[in-house]
Amino acid sequence: MTNQLRKKIAQIVAQAKEGHIPSSFSIVDIIDYLYSEVLHFDAKNPKWDKRDYFVLSKGHGAAALYVVLHKNKFLTDQDLEQYSQTAGILGGHPDTTCVPGAEASTGSLGHGFPMAAGLALGLRIQNKENRIFSLLGDGECNEGTIWETALVAARQQLGNLTAIIDLNGSAAQILPVDPLAEKWEAFGWKVLVIDGHDRDELNRAFGGLNYSFRGNPKVIIAKTVKGKGVSFIEGHGKWHHRIPSSDELEQIYAELA
Amino acid sequence: MKKLRQEFADTMLEVGRRDEKLVVMVGDISHGILQPYAQSYPNRYYNVGICEPTIVSMAAGIAKSGLIPVVHTIAPFIIERAYEQIKLDFGYQKLGVNLISVGSAFDYSQLGCSHHCYTDISLMSHFRNAQVFFPGSPIELNLLFKKVYANGHINYFRLPEYPHDHVLDEKQIIVGQAIRILKGECLTIVVIGPQLKTVLQAAEILKQRRCSADVLYFPTIKPFDGKSVWESVTRTKNVLVIEEASAHDGVFNQVLRATRDIPHVSYSQIAIDDFVHGYGSYEDLCQRLGFSVEGIIKKIKQDLKIEQ
Repeated sequence: MTNQLRKKIAQIVAQAKEGHIPSSFSIVDIIDYLYSEVLHFDAKNPKWDKRDYFVLSKGHGAAALYVVLHKNKFLTDQDLEQYSQTAGILGGHPDTTCVPGAEASTGSLGHGFPMAAGLALGLRIQNKENRIFSLLGDGECNEGTIWETALVAARQQLGNLTAIIDLNGSAAQILPVDPLAEKWEAFGWKVLVIDGHDRDELNRAFGGLNYSFRGNPKVIIAKTVKGKGVSFIEGHGKWHHRIPSSDELEQIYAELA
Repeated sequence: MKKLRQEFADTMLEVGRRDEKLVVMVGDISHGILQPYAQSYPNRYYNVGICEPTIVSMAAGIAKSGLIPVVHTIAPFIIERAYEQIKLDFGYQKLGVNLISVGSAFDYSQLGCSHHCYTDISLMSHFRNAQVFFPGSPIELNLLFKKVYANGHINYFRLPEYPHDHVLDEKQIIVGQAIRILKGECLTIVVIGPQLKTVLQAAEILKQRRCSADVLYFPTIKPFDGKSVWESVTRTKNVLVIEEASAHDGVFNQVLRATRDIPHVSYSQIAIDDFVHGYGSYEDLCQRLGFSVEGIIKKIKQDLKIEQ
């Protein structure tokens, strides 16, 4: 099923000649799962006050968010067709000022997660039971604000905040963040490590979470494959921000069939 | 006169009492002085820690949740260190916040460059949805804050360590309006912050030398009251801008814009051109940089060619 979403990601990126396909492929299973099984939302009323919040902190995976928002009727066919076009509302990073369902404008790594923590704190101050989920990249975990927020969220016992880390090995290319689970544990977070492409493991992880106002915040470290699903895109290298040619697009479709 | 920081604490208590949306976040400063607020509203007060960019981004999340954040710490850390957070999380996303700094310019004179901040006014002037205030006395802070804190914009309040000690008529303290402190014909003096005190001392000497200064004081820097400047400079044709801030992209720039259609105007500026090296008291640094009666008299003679 998510391979259909991957095809859409490749299609809109190829058409617009903009986007991060491998980064989107590594997180699309997670985002699709969240919108299918976890998040409370109303696509007809994106600002519904009882909704849960999903903040894509690694904003360059925006194409994955867009195809899931489209699947869930936040976005129209035309929105996707106009991705990164003058007439459209969708750009290379999520923009909350114009995209229904995008809770934060992100793209500069290290911004979305502290905003999510602020949302968690602000909603708790008002005794609102909305839950907040934020998806981070492991490379993004090089940013200082991620660890500042980890400290603050644990100190403030933001039990309504859940982080998901897309552990696709990007950080390991430059500045490794290992041992990631132990680090988050040391910062006071409840840590779960799963396969981010396995729906049963996602179910097991999210199904057992306690979202009470006060308590340890939770982080799900999701082991993923950058470029998951297409052999010649998987891994690290030239495909990070590469646009497929028409021939390559056909090969992508073939592998995702 | 009461210190601005004390007035900040008092104003938070006053506003927090009647507005349950107010949330005060500090970066481990003013924690003691804010205790009346903190103890009255523990659920709306957070001494977050020493992590300014994170505090600012968290404040954006708090604003998204429907509350009104107030973020308070030292100017270089709230404005310069967290500028990208202000830019993207508030400026671009059009969220409301109240940023309250102390220690702007060289208020922390003895702590050196790391604790100086000259660029805050020009940096904060780049956002259309930002307002910039430099209240030089407690009543200015109290009245202006209460007027704007819930307006959904970025409100930057730059609190000087030393008030100007001049008692203003409360009716004159209006968002976006200059206050004419003295009426004169010889030259226009545009001044912000505590330097009003120095300007009034200089104006007294100028008056004795038969040069009357038209003194315009600006509690609000953005939006800038260019109309008052234009009206004054049209008459005087001479203008001296005194801004305890960066010489670049600040009030002088606004004065140039406001007066660009007036012919034959002479301009002068006392401001901070680059890093301030060295130490000493606030008064020592004022003397060295020309924020003094002698500095003002000298500038008027040198740049405006007004013989006294």
